Order: sequence, then C-alpha cells, then structure tokens
Amino acid sequence: MITDIDALLYKAEAEYLQQQDLAKFKSQMFSLEQRLKIYELLRENEIEIFQPIANQLLITFPDEDQQKIERALKHWLSVLRYCGMAMLSNNQTYLQHRILEWLPVQIQAHQMESLEHTLFSFLQKRLRKTLSPEQFSLLQPFLEQAKTTLLD
Amino acid sequence: MITIADLVQDSSFPGNYFAPDAYVQGDFESGLIENRQGRRLLALPDTLLKGIYAGLESEVGPAAGTVLYNCGRWWGKNFHRRFSEEVSTYYRKSISEMEMVELLQCLRQCWKAHGWGIIELNVDHYQQGFLVVKVEQSAFANIAKSPAKPSCFLEAGLLSAFFSELSGTKLHCEQTTCESLGADYNLFILGMAKRLESINAWLEQGDDHASIMQRLCSN
Repeated sequence: MITDIDALLYKAEAEYLQQQDLAKFKSQMFSLEQRLKIYELLRENEIEIFQPIANQLLITFPDEDQQKIERALKHWLSVLRYCGMAMLSNNQTYLQHRILEWLPVQIQAHQMESLEHTLFSFLQKRLRKTLSPEQFSLLQPFLEQAKTTLLD
Repeated sequence: MITIADLVQDSSFPGNYFAPDAYVQGDFESGLIENRQGRRLLALPDTLLKGIYAGLESEVGPAAGTVLYNCGRWWGKNFHRRFSEEVSTYYRKSISEMEMVELLQCLRQCWKAHGWGIIELNVDHYQQGFLVVKVEQSAFANIAKSPAKPSCFLEAGLLSAFFSELSGTKLHCEQTTCESLGADYNLFILGMAKRLESINAWLEQGDDHASIMQRLCSN
C-alpha cells in the first residue's frame, strides 16, 4: 500500500491526479484505516489469541518438551507481529526479509515442522474468531506467505 | 502450563538483523552508507578491487597473494569484533550463548547483506580438525586476471581471522576450488596451519577438493 501511494505521489509530480487516480487514492486510504484497525486488534488481543493455542498444543502434544512448544509459540508470536506490519504497509518483501528468511533453518534444525503445522492451523482458527471475515481476508495473504515459506 | 503473558514479557522476538532493506542505510546528501547501528560501510567497486589486485601483482609479483591474505586477516579480525558486538546487542545475548544454528544463520545473512556471496559451513570433518566453507557467487572470485590457481586470497584471509576469533584458536585457511577457474563455488579449508601446508603442492599436482580432504583426514 505504501508503495501504491508512493506511485501516485510520483505521478502527481508531473500532473494533477485524475479522477480515476484519486479514486485509487481514496480506496487506499480507506483500506489503510481498516488495516490499522486490524493491526490494533492483533496487538490488543495477542495474549487472548495465543493462550488457547498454547493450551491446545499441550493437550495435542502431551509428550513434547515444553521448551520446544514455547519455542514454536515464540516463532508464531513473532511471525504474526511481522505479518501485522507487512499487512499494514502491504509489503510482502518486508515479511520475507525480516522474518521468513530467518526462521526456516531453525524450524528444520529443531525438527519442529509437525508442531508448527498444528500451531498454524490453531492460529488460523483463532484469528477467524478474533477478526471479521473482511478483516481476515486482508491478513490472509501474509499468513499464507508465512505458511508457504516456513511449513510447505 | 505455558503462560503467553510471560513469553511476551520475556521476549522481544527479534527477526533477521541483516535484512538488507533494514541493514544498509544510505544518506544521499553526504554520500555515506552505514548499517542499522550507524556504523560506516564501504562500497568497493569492482574496478577498484581489480585495480588493487593488478597493482599488487605488478608491485610485488607472486607475493601479491600473501599481501592480500594478510589484508583479509586484518579485515576479518575487525569484522569479527563488529559482528559480535552488533549481533549480541540485537539478539541480547553474546554469540557464545547463541545456538549454532542461529549463529550460522546470522553468518549466512550477514554475508548476503554485504554482497559477499552465499556462505555455507560444513562441519563433517570437525572431529579431524577441519572446517570447510563453501561460498557461492563470491564477490572476490572474478577479480584476479587469468588466475592459474584459486585466487580469493582476501576472502581466505577474512575467513581465517574470523573463524580464529570465533573459535579462539589460530586457524589458517586454504582455498581448494575457485569460481574464477570455472567451479560452481569457492571451497575453503580451515584448520591448523601446519596441517594445511601440503595443500598447495597437492593442488599443483592436480588434486581436487575431495581428494585433498581425503589426504588431510588420513594424515
């Protein structure tokens, strides 16, 4: 989104923006407002989103080392924070460079794929409960990007 | 019982310190580039590097490799200091407290962010006292003019000093495979200088990396 607005700002250097461009600008401003709301929701509900996931993981993986479960939770607390900012700025490259290039090796090295797969499915369910369908659809591309890079 | 409130309170969840868009910062007005902690970075144009290699070659002839290796060692020592300070500050733990996988990931990302290539460490021969470093798309491979042997001396010196500082043991570094000679990547062997001293002779005899490793490990 920031880059889309940037493009319009550059265009406005050469000429007044036409109605079509202004409509794009308005729609991006509206979208930005929605994205800010989602970001705030994620921030305010971080603990409420993740606590039930932690509880479910302990039930699903009763024999798993608790530290390993905590590590997986930290990974996804982190991923969701970065997804939030990537969604706010509509910038998939940010997500890729800042966290998705960082975590895969660690997930593989600690053989956490199965644990993290389950965690991701719990997280999606929790987010669908916390966010409206429209809000979830704005966040989903970034969650999918994280899933594809880290788990597939 | 896992309490998320505690996890959130204890952790800052740092990501990739060396993410290129965050790590390299530029100031167009002053023409300076610096890293995210405000430390100066130096961009070395290919032409300058080629000039240094050619100038040294003409000034000191066959000793150019040794000069570059020693420059690399000096650079590597300083680089290690900066790397440890910055990484420790960002991740809030010293590099000796980092897990091996985390440290290696830092190195990979660091090499990439500086444009030095894609670095991989092979610790298969660690028990025999050797560390093998592979660098793909090395920034230093195509500088030497028509080299007859592996010629990334600066890189070898850098690796030697960096891993010496990291391990607390003085390590030497010899290059066995070079992109400038048509290989897909550079390979370097790190170990005690005395144990690596035959490598040059073996390279001249035409031995490849695999047979050199075999000879080293059987000695």
